[in-house]
Amino acid sequence: MTAGLSRHRRSLLGAVGLATFLLLWELALRSGLLPGSLVPLPSAIPAVLAAEISDGIWLEVVTASLAHYSVGLLVGSLLGIVVGVAAALLPAVDALHAWLARLLRPIPPLAWIPFAIIWFGINPSAAAFIISIGVFWINYFASYSAVRSVDPGYDEVARAFGQSGFLARLAKVSLPAAAPGILGGLRAGLGQGWMTVVAAELFGIPGIGQRMMEASSLLATDIVVVYMLTIAALYAVFDFLFMILQRRLLRWQP
Amino acid sequence: MTAFQTALPPALRARGIRLGFGDTAVLAGVDLDLHPREFVAVVGASGVGKSTLLRALAGLLAPQAGVVEIPAGTARDTRAWSMVFQAPRLFPWRRVRGNVELGLEGLSLSRAERRQRALEPLALVGLDELADRWPHTLSGGQQQRVGIARALAVRPRVLFMDEPFSALDAITRRRLQQELIDLRRRAEAAIVFVTHDIEEAVLLADRVMVLGGQAPGQPAGVVATLDIPLPLDDRRDHPGFADCLQAVERHIGAAR
Repeated sequence: MTAGLSRHRRSLLGAVGLATFLLLWELALRSGLLPGSLVPLPSAIPAVLAAEISDGIWLEVVTASLAHYSVGLLVGSLLGIVVGVAAALLPAVDALHAWLARLLRPIPPLAWIPFAIIWFGINPSAAAFIISIGVFWINYFASYSAVRSVDPGYDEVARAFGQSGFLARLAKVSLPAAAPGILGGLRAGLGQGWMTVVAAELFGIPGIGQRMMEASSLLATDIVVVYMLTIAALYAVFDFLFMILQRRLLRWQP
Repeated sequence: MTAFQTALPPALRARGIRLGFGDTAVLAGVDLDLHPREFVAVVGASGVGKSTLLRALAGLLAPQAGVVEIPAGTARDTRAWSMVFQAPRLFPWRRVRGNVELGLEGLSLSRAERRQRALEPLALVGLDELADRWPHTLSGGQQQRVGIARALAVRPRVLFMDEPFSALDAITRRRLQQELIDLRRRAEAAIVFVTHDIEEAVLLADRVMVLGGQAPGQPAGVVATLDIPLPLDDRRDHPGFADCLQAVERHIGAAR
């Protein structure tokens, strides 16, 4: 039950929980309860991060991953929304794609890695492709169901006021009415994109994932943790910025 | 129908309207000549097809049989008809002003003209001060007023109203009924008004069309069309009000 706690108190307890976790981890290593080859010392992480940054490696791999991420996110989101909205609005498209979607949807994004390599080679496009697949399905389903569940009463209003063309209804009813669901899908895709970004780079495309593989083969667990935290921080920044945009676009909501 | 110049072409003419599901007719044989500026109320038990009839008259759905004509006007900045719905059905993602502008989009109006044309009906319903508010910040009565302003903005020749006050509390309903009476003096539209409230029909209308079943197993139809020959002002206090009410009730009672 967190309902009875004030906001301030909840933040405080959250910080206490995190600090306790780090402290126990540190103590377990220092006391020899955990072997140092398995996990790094938390207190050693900041120095490792500083070294990665001063070597220029951190910026290089983060930039590379961000490039894969943004391209994959952009392509996947755009295609997902277009196909989802079209299927929801046009019965013929809906029927045409239904079986195909049922066939392709259960295939995990990472299962496309062989084709990504064959089609694109070991290069950034392949990583962007893998990322876009996961993002596509999330956006596709979110937009499809958001548009399908728009109150048909709004469509009747549009027709009663002379807005009966397909494009007018799309722009004046379907998209704005479905915006909360579509934006929710975009936000979920933002998170899903980071999950696949690492995996997509594990097979040798330069980026955060490749750096983590390198580090783990040298048993440099401290470097692995630095990039785990980097991903968490990048996700938090993107999610926060998107949340601001989402609030702005949906300011009409009660 | 002395009050209306029947020599003028009607604002709406409907002949032999039949409505139903599949091959089954629910309502049949509806004729209506709506004169310019006339107010016709349609009453009848729920399920008789009042709202469906209204949509068929507006062309929002196709009847099984029959024709509806709303003679085209000449002005390029108006629409032939518009509608006020039972629920206000404002677009929550548009401000009040944007909602009222909906029907004006696509007419030959500049942006500035459109804004002006939206403010006029808002002032008429007393809400021009709230033009920049979001719909969810308005009360139910205010939202329905915006719905009325949205319909008036296109200066329709026929205004369809589908139980527009039935979802409101009694006090707000009375106030809006009075506002509608006042509005009629300033708006040019002829009105078709669907309601299940007989008193409301007699209070507002020039004519009341009663829908009901005539024989078991047969589709419902127009049981009677009654003129309400009372002045619009203070109708409730008029000695003839009770008689009109009774006359409508008698016809509804006779229907099955």
